[in-house]
Amino acid sequence: MSERLADGVGVARAEHFESVAQQREAATLGIWAWLITELLLFSALFLVALITRIQHPEATVAAAKHLKFWIGATNTVVLICSSLTMSMAIEFSRMGWQRAMVRAMLATAALGGLFLVLKGYEYYADWDEHMMPFLSNRPFALAETPAARLFVNLYYVATLLHALHLFTGIALLLGMTWMAAKAGFLARHQNWIEVYGLYWHFIDLVWILAFPILYVVNR
Amino acid sequence: MSASGSIGGTARREPHTPESTIGRKPDYLHAESTLRSWFLTTDHKRIALLYLASITGFFVIGAVAAGVVRLALIVPNGAIMTNDTYNKAFTIHGVVMVWFFLIPSIPATFGNFLIPLMIGAKDLAFPKLNLTSWYVFMAGALFTLVSVVLGGVDTGWTFYAPLSTAFSNTWVLPALIGVTIVGFSSILTGLNFVVTIHTMRAPGMTWFKLPIFVWAHYATSLIFLLATPVITTALILLIAERAFHIGVFDPAYGGDPVLFQHLFWFYSHPAVYIMVLPGMGVISEIVPAFAQKKLFGYRFVAYASIGLASVTFFVWGHHMFVNGQSDLASLVFSALSFAVAVPSAVKVYNWTATIHKGALRLDTPMLYAMGYIGLFVLGGLTGLYLATLAINQHIHATYFVVAHFHYIMVGGTVLAFLGGLHFWWPKFTGRMYSEPWGRVSALLIFLGFNVTFFPQFILGYLGMPRRYATYPAEFQLLNVLSSAGATILAAGYLFPMLYLVYSLWFGRKAPANPWNAKGLEWETSSPPPTHNFLSPPEVPRIPYDYPIQAQESRDQHG
Repeated sequence: MSERLADGVGVARAEHFESVAQQREAATLGIWAWLITELLLFSALFLVALITRIQHPEATVAAAKHLKFWIGATNTVVLICSSLTMSMAIEFSRMGWQRAMVRAMLATAALGGLFLVLKGYEYYADWDEHMMPFLSNRPFALAETPAARLFVNLYYVATLLHALHLFTGIALLLGMTWMAAKAGFLARHQNWIEVYGLYWHFIDLVWILAFPILYVVNR
Repeated sequence: MSASGSIGGTARREPHTPESTIGRKPDYLHAESTLRSWFLTTDHKRIALLYLASITGFFVIGAVAAGVVRLALIVPNGAIMTNDTYNKAFTIHGVVMVWFFLIPSIPATFGNFLIPLMIGAKDLAFPKLNLTSWYVFMAGALFTLVSVVLGGVDTGWTFYAPLSTAFSNTWVLPALIGVTIVGFSSILTGLNFVVTIHTMRAPGMTWFKLPIFVWAHYATSLIFLLATPVITTALILLIAERAFHIGVFDPAYGGDPVLFQHLFWFYSHPAVYIMVLPGMGVISEIVPAFAQKKLFGYRFVAYASIGLASVTFFVWGHHMFVNGQSDLASLVFSALSFAVAVPSAVKVYNWTATIHKGALRLDTPMLYAMGYIGLFVLGGLTGLYLATLAINQHIHATYFVVAHFHYIMVGGTVLAFLGGLHFWWPKFTGRMYSEPWGRVSALLIFLGFNVTFFPQFILGYLGMPRRYATYPAEFQLLNVLSSAGATILAAGYLFPMLYLVYSLWFGRKAPANPWNAKGLEWETSSPPPTHNFLSPPEVPRIPYDYPIQAQESRDQHG
């Protein structure tokens, strides 16, 4: 990785590391370990959703058909595009093109924001269709099927948890963009961009798992 | 310093400054002394002491609650306190002891302090993250304690749904949120350890030169990383169900209560090994040092640590034998649970073989270690009773279970914790404690523990259920005996708190290596300087390079 970096781009060694290579290795391993825990956090929910489908196929499909397929599909495209812009930001950071990197990061944050807006609209449509079983003032549309209710509840917990990650991710990204716009950032903290990029791709990956499991299977 | 003069603590009583400490830079304790320098420190050794102070506080809270429970059970008819108070007392005891003492105890204190020293690093890989994890831990724990102050929780430490989500009208929500937050602290600690052990080892410190303590913490950290997220999911779902009626577990909302038990025990069974594995690491350091003998079968002990961490992910179903899971599932989980005995027994045999024909010194840490081995064997063997399907039907949810897991978790964690505390106390503080009082405390705790918990095996076998405030009158004698044992145990815990604190000011100055032990942490001064080593440490030729080698290695080397 290091030989691809442009002049004036690199990492300042922290006191407790023996070398920059060691520091980079620690940062990369650290973020991968964290992402594995994050994946497990979601996978418990996805696993339960899949088991619910296997045990109660009819009720689950009835509920899944109420999910807004086209909003979910559009959001998938939006997130894949944001992963592309994030990858571009990483590549620009390696080449030392700070301005282009900052723009790519802002584009990534904007696409993330677009996802949240679309998701918000989807929740509104769910509310309108009486598809929120936990609201006692709006009776659930599929009242007679408990499994449908369980599936829809899992859908809300999983997508809200994902949205929370995305929201946190956008906040971190904007904070980092603000720092990364300053002169000399790339000479000291280039690996922050690399490490953050992995986190962003992970948010994308979770959605790419959630979309088929919740929206597409048996449709 | 001479090894012989400093062993045992009885030879020299006068204050003594080892020559190696004269004229050197201030150590990590005295480098800075402001409160700010402690609460914003990124030094892994200071963070370890922050953890030590906080978990000691939680231990006292949990112990007082245990005392209340034992007090209530002196009489059979529940005359001392209401059922409600009793439920809240055993819940506080369980929640505080499991989540805020047993799980973080050894990793967060000794692990934090010793892993960088043992592998020859200047610090953990992510020092700021390390400090963050302490603040996360304190925030979560205090959040839970708020629920106790406001009125208590009566669900037990397991928070079983739907009791916790629909029926209990106590302060379940803050307790759940606090425990969820503490989980993140575990994940961050485990992540820091894994990365540190992978990337920060001194040149020449290969995987098979690592002390077993480090191996054990590596295995523990894998459990932290792979199991904790699942309990976080389970607790988030509980919170969603209780706060917003997003039904997942409560059948009234379309949920499945057995689902909660699956998610809960997928973490909470491995959590037993989060408690026990670090203790095994501690024992594997103490036993060779006080036998002055190379650890028998080093590689097998290392493999057994990873083996235990792996097997433990496949046995959670043994908590659900009578809860309506399929017979086939029960059968498989029963067989897999028996497999846990294999790596556990490997460790016990290796410690025993290390003691055999060693130059044994029965100092305080060794007394604790031997107590540990005894209690762990008894706890482990009774685990086989519980893993057997037919016997489990009889003793499920009785005091037999309570006795079993106290032997494993308290015998296995608290005795290792105290043994380690005495072993490394000179390294932490630069002071020696009173050896005679140390021995008294170790013996009192072993005695008190057995008097407290052995009668509970019999009570459970006779049919006394756990978590009940009342019981038939014929169980009273054994219950009174158990409560009397708890008093001895409490006295045993009190002694170290007194003489260890006393030693901070009046203890004799400790040499770098008071036990003539091997391992890089003994190469540096006591207490160590801020960046652990003044000159890069020399990695030994073999691990546990003690004067006495086992017969096998003498044969190999001719």
